[in-house]
Amino acid sequence: MTNFIIALVVGVFFGFSLNKAGLTKYNKIVNVFRFTDMTVLKFMMTALVVSMSGLYGLRGLGLIEFPNVPSTYIVGNIVGGLIFGVGMALTGY
Amino acid sequence: MKFILDYIRKDEWSPYVAGVMLGVIGIAAVWASNSLLGASGAFENLAGLIGKAVAPAAFDNMYFNFIMPPGISWGVMLLIGVFFGGMIGAATSGTLLWGKKGSANSDEQWKRVFGPQVWKRWALAFIGAIILEYAAGVAGGCTSGLAISGGMLLAPAAFLFIMGMFASGIVTALIIYRKNY
Repeated sequence: MTNFIIALVVGVFFGFSLNKAGLTKYNKIVNVFRFTDMTVLKFMMTALVVSMSGLYGLRGLGLIEFPNVPSTYIVGNIVGGLIFGVGMALTGY
Repeated sequence: MKFILDYIRKDEWSPYVAGVMLGVIGIAAVWASNSLLGASGAFENLAGLIGKAVAPAAFDNMYFNFIMPPGISWGVMLLIGVFFGGMIGAATSGTLLWGKKGSANSDEQWKRVFGPQVWKRWALAFIGAIILEYAAGVAGGCTSGLAISGGMLLAPAAFLFIMGMFASGIVTALIIYRKNY
């Protein structure tokens, strides 16, 4: 139960940050593929760098353990990504 | 204090500030409940739940039995939170269009490219969402579940996915925008 409440709270902040970064807008998503607006990349890569260093640091200190790392199956990941890009550029979600 | 409140009311944050916020949330999710942020998996959990109730035979396969078991999962709760979080974000900046005129098709750029009709917006969103969800199923995650959550654990899958996503996204945008690219 507490887990679900945590999920709800985390979700609210997650949605909030997505909205404030402008990722809920069609033009932001599509323009990154047209190289006219790099907001998506700036946002994604900042998040990656922050959480990456934080998580590895905390694991190094022995404070957390990693959940299941998404499994690698090269063809599936790339083909999935290729189909995903079509949908993303089409709808802007 | 006033500075912070003013910043919260701003419609568009610097992507770096919002990115730091998401990064901290990503860490918090792992730390507090050992889970990863993600959106597409939750839809599959819900689809499985409905499917098992409506057509149990069709949903009695490997995918819905083992890979994406149906049920109200952590991700489903997260998704509910995301919905309200997005609304709060829009409400604080005064851009919440819920129930207002023209809110069903409000993006200027979208109207320029595809036209002002609302049905077109909904039809394209529906078709695109099918493509997105199917692709997320194939790849094992979406932008948040695989690219961001996997990337922060340095999973190779995430970077393969980002590669594919941008390659086909750029081509699709080229086709849609043609001369105006």
